[in-house]
Amino acid sequence: MVIDEDRCTGCEACVAACHAENNIATVGDDQAARGRAMHWIRVERYYEGDFPNIKVKYRPVPCQQCSDAPCEPVCPTYASYHNPEGLNAQIYNRCIGTRYCANACPYLVRFFNFFNPVWDKPLDLQFNPDVSVRSVGIMEKCTFCIQRIKAAEIKAQAEKRPLKDGEFNPACVQSCPAEAMVFGDLNDPESKVSRLSRSNRGSTLLSELGTHPKVTYLKRDTWHNGQNA
Amino acid sequence: MDRRNFLKISAVGSATVALDACGKPEHQLIRFIPEEELIPGIAQWKPGVCTQCAAGCGLQVRVMEGEAEVTRHGQVGLLSMGLAKKLEGNPAHPVNRGKLCAWGQAGLQVTYNPDRVRFPIRRTGPRGSGEYQEIGWEEAIKELASRLSSLKPGGKALPLAFLTEPLRDHRGVLIGRFLSALGAPPAVKFEFFEQTVLRRANELSFGHQQLPTFDLANANYVICFGADFLGTWNSPVAQNLGYGTMRQGRPGQRGKLVQVEARMSQTGANADEWVYAKPGTEGLLALGLAHVILKENLRPAGAAGEAGDRIDGWSRGLPDHTPEAVAKSTGAEAARIQRLAREMAEHAPAVVLIGGAPLAQTNGLSNALAVNALNALLGSVGKPGGVSFTPQPPMPDLDVPKEGASVRALCEGILAGSAPVEALLVYNANPVFATPPAWRVQEALEKVAFIASFGSFVDETSILADLILPDHSYLESWVDSIPESGTTEAVASLAPPAMNPLHHTRAMPDVLLEAAHQVGGGVGKALPWKTYQEMLQAAFESLRSHPGSVSAKTPDDFWSEVQAKGGWWSGEAAKSAAVVAAKPSAAPATVTEPQFDGAVQEYPFNFLPYASLQFGDGRHANLPWMQEMPDTISTAMWSTWVEINPQTAERMGIRQGDLLEVASQHGKLQAPALIAPGIAPDVVAMPVGQGHENYGRYASHRGANPIKILGPQSEAETGALAWASTRVKITRTGKKGKLILFGGGLREWPREYRRR
Repeated sequence: MVIDEDRCTGCEACVAACHAENNIATVGDDQAARGRAMHWIRVERYYEGDFPNIKVKYRPVPCQQCSDAPCEPVCPTYASYHNPEGLNAQIYNRCIGTRYCANACPYLVRFFNFFNPVWDKPLDLQFNPDVSVRSVGIMEKCTFCIQRIKAAEIKAQAEKRPLKDGEFNPACVQSCPAEAMVFGDLNDPESKVSRLSRSNRGSTLLSELGTHPKVTYLKRDTWHNGQNA
Repeated sequence: MDRRNFLKISAVGSATVALDACGKPEHQLIRFIPEEELIPGIAQWKPGVCTQCAAGCGLQVRVMEGEAEVTRHGQVGLLSMGLAKKLEGNPAHPVNRGKLCAWGQAGLQVTYNPDRVRFPIRRTGPRGSGEYQEIGWEEAIKELASRLSSLKPGGKALPLAFLTEPLRDHRGVLIGRFLSALGAPPAVKFEFFEQTVLRRANELSFGHQQLPTFDLANANYVICFGADFLGTWNSPVAQNLGYGTMRQGRPGQRGKLVQVEARMSQTGANADEWVYAKPGTEGLLALGLAHVILKENLRPAGAAGEAGDRIDGWSRGLPDHTPEAVAKSTGAEAARIQRLAREMAEHAPAVVLIGGAPLAQTNGLSNALAVNALNALLGSVGKPGGVSFTPQPPMPDLDVPKEGASVRALCEGILAGSAPVEALLVYNANPVFATPPAWRVQEALEKVAFIASFGSFVDETSILADLILPDHSYLESWVDSIPESGTTEAVASLAPPAMNPLHHTRAMPDVLLEAAHQVGGGVGKALPWKTYQEMLQAAFESLRSHPGSVSAKTPDDFWSEVQAKGGWWSGEAAKSAAVVAAKPSAAPATVTEPQFDGAVQEYPFNFLPYASLQFGDGRHANLPWMQEMPDTISTAMWSTWVEINPQTAERMGIRQGDLLEVASQHGKLQAPALIAPGIAPDVVAMPVGQGHENYGRYASHRGANPIKILGPQSEAETGALAWASTRVKITRTGKKGKLILFGGGLREWPREYRRR
């Protein structure tokens, strides 16, 4: 995935889309006040300077899907594991809730179900049937909408063709009104996401940790008399 | 019999049992026969129209088979039906091109909201008690019709008022026809963040009483005065799309965004350059820019045409608006004004936007006229990379419905007895929540003998109703929408119900039609359609002869094709319709300094309420997804707050989360402090949307409502509420407030504090 900070406007559509797609529980005000709100993707906001010379930057942060993920080796039950396509998958029915993975994650993108989620009826009808609902004691995280990946792969397989670039998108990417997020196959050097990830504006979060994230951020550009930097 | 048929029949059987007690079981049953096309586990995508705000984006609704537990007359039944599971943007729709904002995404929680009114109810307790009794639809509509028939015109118009949100669709047309057939005054339209001022300004400058559309995708330079156009203002999804292209969609070329405001909005946070201007002086700053452009002959004065003639002193080169003079009144530096003016003249196409707080000042109209003149001077009107007006589809009856009275005038008439109202119909408008106390809306509404609401929720206004006839949600009913802005094509969106109704509700237009037929006489004749669907079909048929996205030989083909595509749009063909017409002269306006409510000595802070990214004007506060979605600037969830400048806070000894009392001449409230670096030292800001007393379990009794301390000052020319013109004072209560931040507070702040 590539996220362009120059396009992101901080509108939070990705956050709402993610909740709707992935059956993420709302925890309510008391639990939220204890830091237990669950947002698989969040929009971070950074201030620079003092009034009136203020600059702000937004940065949407989903799971970085690290190639060398700190969350994986710490799991005693192999619930967080590296799937063959390179995603950091979370196998819910292996998870026993040690929360080691959340402690190990430098990006703070893993969320723990402190309680069984409550859905006041008929809010439960909004559930996406393709995504399991997590219960108390389970760690959950961004999956790059693996249910959409699988569905597209099965469809392509049935039609005996390779997956097309941009054929499907995770919920956040599909909704993004400023088209700040691009999703695709990094293994294919010709895909849009591969080309963008080689941009000279590109970097990864906390790259000094050696986690090798699969999300590339394109930094906020500056204006030089109408030209790109 | 195969397994599927067996399941179908047993589902029908259980439905029959569950619905046994209903008046006409065969009517009920038809709605619950499992839908043929649904295969368990396979998603169907159906078109939809988003009604979460007025932008009118096109939807795709993901419908899957599911089992819904529904209650009918006290009996619970499990029904297998198609359920909306996810909303996405319609990729073909000219406004949102497959994209959707957070409000749109949260639309599912409108349909599945546990606090929806599930059947018609009649009030049994005193007004405001919330005590109701369930009644049947026949009885409810009969009561509505008999109330309407018994109204006697007291000399002038019928003492009936219809209070609605501004509707840009055939529901609005239907209401208009209904009222005029009854002999009642036109509908009273209400929303808190009304756009009257901007529409009026565009009418005066450009001859279009309409919100503007901006071609940001082709713009090279954008100056925006106060409008949160990437968050909540006008057509946010379309504007985000254009903005993304302006920034990084054109290789080698990148547009600049300059935002002028007193409190850094979500849009301001994206700006390449953020300029502080004192509240209400935005028009002066625009004229300062125009002065430089005229003086340095970067554009001829005549280039502004009629829009320039609207401004006093334009033809003389705006001698009173030198950068130095403007710098003094606005707070922006003179050198910067000069530089910005040169930059925007050099980097065509440049476009200027104005919206939000600058228009909600006593001088709002003149601010907008100044910006319009600047746009015209830059040559950006009706041009690529500039501002244009969305052409309207060629449908009969659609001409802008007559402006009704304002809520303020309605309530003044009731209270003074000069225009009594004996019956009031309310649809999706909540003025009791969203009007300043001086308007005395609740007091006025309580004097009305009969109030009926079509709302899906009990809110502060509909709790006063004697009868609630709950509407379907927008996923359960026929929806259409005619976007006012956000595209250069003429668009008429349309969608059939994406799913069957979950509850015992009925679509407002259908209820109105049936009531009209029961009233009979001329009223029934003026509304010849049996259902809203019939009315829509007739209206859309008029589009068949025009070139557009749907072409079909027969009316039936056209109708089904329009439904399948989610509407009709003109395509490139009608783009020329957006050419701007001149308006006959009116007296030129002088851009003045704004007036504020409250003396500076006693009330030192400008109070700036703003549309919340989570709740808009408060209507989305009952959606748990929106309550828990972190606000993008503060990361606050489930909260309200008062934004205050760090230096001001330090001076007053205020720390993050301290409970403050904010008082104006008209009221006071308490809310926790949020130390916000992007706000002027003499301004405090609050998001609108929380502080509901009655709006379901998620919104009620949460936070404070800033509208309730606003003064009643209005914009001088249009009479619109000047909601940004109140002054307040702030005191510490000594207590801590409830401020829930997802970001764990502004972590970078304490360190910077110590350094200062």
